[in-house]
Amino acid sequence: MTDTTNVDATVDQKLKEAYFTASQGQLIWTRFKKQKAAMVGAWVLIFLILSGLFAPFLTPYDPTIAGRDKDYQNGAPEIPKFWDENGFSARPFIYTVSRVRSIETNFRWVTTVDRTARRYVVLFPKGDKYKLFGMRFQTHLFGVDSGKIHLFGTDSAGKDIFSRTFHAINTSLAVGTIGVFIAFVMALIIGGVSGYYGGWIDSILQMITDAVRTVPAIPLFMALAAFIPSEWSAEARFFFISIILGFIGWPTLARRVRTHLLTERNQEYVLAAQLCGASAPHIIRKHLLPSFTSYIIVDLVISFPYMVLSETALSFIGLGLKDPVNSLGVMLQNVTKADVLLNYQWYFIPVIFFIVLVLAFVFVGDGLRDAADPYGDAKR
Amino acid sequence: MLLFARFVAIRASLAVLTLVIVSFIVFSLMEMVPGDCAERYLAFKNTQGSMISIADIDVERVRLGLDKPFMVRWVTWITNAFQGDFGESCILRLNISRLLGEKFWISLGISLTALAFAYAIAIPVGIISATSKSAVLNNSLRLVSYMGLALPNFLLALMIMLFSTVVFGDSLTGLFSKEFRDAAWSYDRVIDFLSRAWLPVFILGWSATAFAIQTVRALMSDEIGKLYVTAAAARGVSGRRLLWRYPARHALGPIINSLGFDLNRIFNELPIIALILTLTEAGSLLIESLARSNDQQLAGAIIFLLTASIVALNFLTDILLAITDPRVRRSILG
Repeated sequence: MTDTTNVDATVDQKLKEAYFTASQGQLIWTRFKKQKAAMVGAWVLIFLILSGLFAPFLTPYDPTIAGRDKDYQNGAPEIPKFWDENGFSARPFIYTVSRVRSIETNFRWVTTVDRTARRYVVLFPKGDKYKLFGMRFQTHLFGVDSGKIHLFGTDSAGKDIFSRTFHAINTSLAVGTIGVFIAFVMALIIGGVSGYYGGWIDSILQMITDAVRTVPAIPLFMALAAFIPSEWSAEARFFFISIILGFIGWPTLARRVRTHLLTERNQEYVLAAQLCGASAPHIIRKHLLPSFTSYIIVDLVISFPYMVLSETALSFIGLGLKDPVNSLGVMLQNVTKADVLLNYQWYFIPVIFFIVLVLAFVFVGDGLRDAADPYGDAKR
Repeated sequence: MLLFARFVAIRASLAVLTLVIVSFIVFSLMEMVPGDCAERYLAFKNTQGSMISIADIDVERVRLGLDKPFMVRWVTWITNAFQGDFGESCILRLNISRLLGEKFWISLGISLTALAFAYAIAIPVGIISATSKSAVLNNSLRLVSYMGLALPNFLLALMIMLFSTVVFGDSLTGLFSKEFRDAAWSYDRVIDFLSRAWLPVFILGWSATAFAIQTVRALMSDEIGKLYVTAAAARGVSGRRLLWRYPARHALGPIINSLGFDLNRIFNELPIIALILTLTEAGSLLIESLARSNDQQLAGAIIFLLTASIVALNFLTDILLAITDPRVRRSILG
């Protein structure tokens, strides 16, 4: 009897020791792991990030006009099957589709599906060339033995929507990352200076930050984006839009940094460092910032989906990214046409991926916020 | 009372100061844009068949006062703006205040209604979800508010359009039916307007509601664990009375404070929704002036007006907070 209590006590003791000696990161990770929704979100997010990164390999075709299928424009999604009325097949297959336009069809495109001519899905075929991490490849994850396969259908130019979707995830993540990074650096500098020095510097900076926060950002930056010269290359546009997004995000972050610094800078350890003769940048960098890195990371994750959504909105109205670059906004540019709304609903398939992407970010951000809150356990 | 008047005066001057800073930002952005009003107007004339020389552009520049230094032009612009005069549109050659007039008020009305709609739902729902222990309710509410974040307003608008085109055969777009589009305001026109305006209000309110539910819920669950609530419960106050009298009153302070920024967020969405639903109001005029005609004068005026209404709302909520919250009131009245 006494034995078991002793063991329990030592286990308890060990747990306590582990708890008290754990670093901030370990504590957050322990609390984060307990939240199911956030963990699911994290896995989905990792999956999406990886599929965005490896998009050129995972998708069968080039997402630009170079990879278009000129025989299958505005084509419906082709779902691979294992069996039909003509029998079972161990390899998934799709049907052969042919399109005719002649005097018999009244000069309209008429699609006929030949259910007997099967095209089989193959793994690792050689296809469009692409670059991944600086190396050139030609092998894709899957394809069909003849013709082309379009899991999500094609758009009006015959571009494969499946390929475009995954490349668009990549673009959105890249735009978001650059945007968040710029917002972060600006917020750290402005919020850091304002919070550390306080006094009149703080008042002036806060007044400017508040003024910037009052202007509705999207209309303002629509104004900027509208005047991007149309001869700019797609890459230049891409960076410019990312910078704009960074400018949209910084005021909120800067305010958080400042509020935190204002409370922290009166703590004894800062005074101690000052008495030791440490310089202001040194104190901010070595003592103040580490005290709330976790909060900053959380804020960054939370602000990420807004960046992605802002980009989508800007591109959607035609002021953001333009065609050779793929993003959800670019892909949705033409969907307001009645023709698309009524006939080509598969244009909307990418939307599902983006909702999942944003949701995953929101779940992870929420989970991190709860996990980073040291009083979170006490409350529950 | 005198102190209160002083508080109001300080807040009002701060609001004006903010507007001045904002106007500077907007004005310099409009200046950074390549080309100016004179070039744009004359380039437009060029397309109409009249030949334009460099000298003509210079004459036009002098006429518009564009040859004066930057600061002088900014001061003129801002003094006129505060009197409600934004000059003439670059392309349309119309007085901007006349051009905008009614359209701006419609936009503002729609946005404010959307805001009211959002909080009318969010406050009760947020409070219920913060107090309820039911996991199902909490999770489904979380999901709804997450959907508000993840399904951006313009996608929602597209979905509704898709649905109504297929089901009703009417895309529900526009703000007026055909027969009322250019009519003067009358009872019938108001009814017609209301029968169509609910859709933009709903769509704009959608993500605002999601945000608001999250905020209300977070604030309420912060307050609900505090000792004064336990103390009140121990004294025998319970149920709705407990919630409304103690934590809710505390939680609503920051919400009133943040109304201005919620309006900001709604204005962010306004132009995009306007484009999809083909609303004829300030938002679509903004897109029109930016994307099609490059009319910086008009765009600047719209952005300035939007910001001015946010600043005005911030000012009002500050005053409201000072009146309702005894802590703020004391700190002002000493």
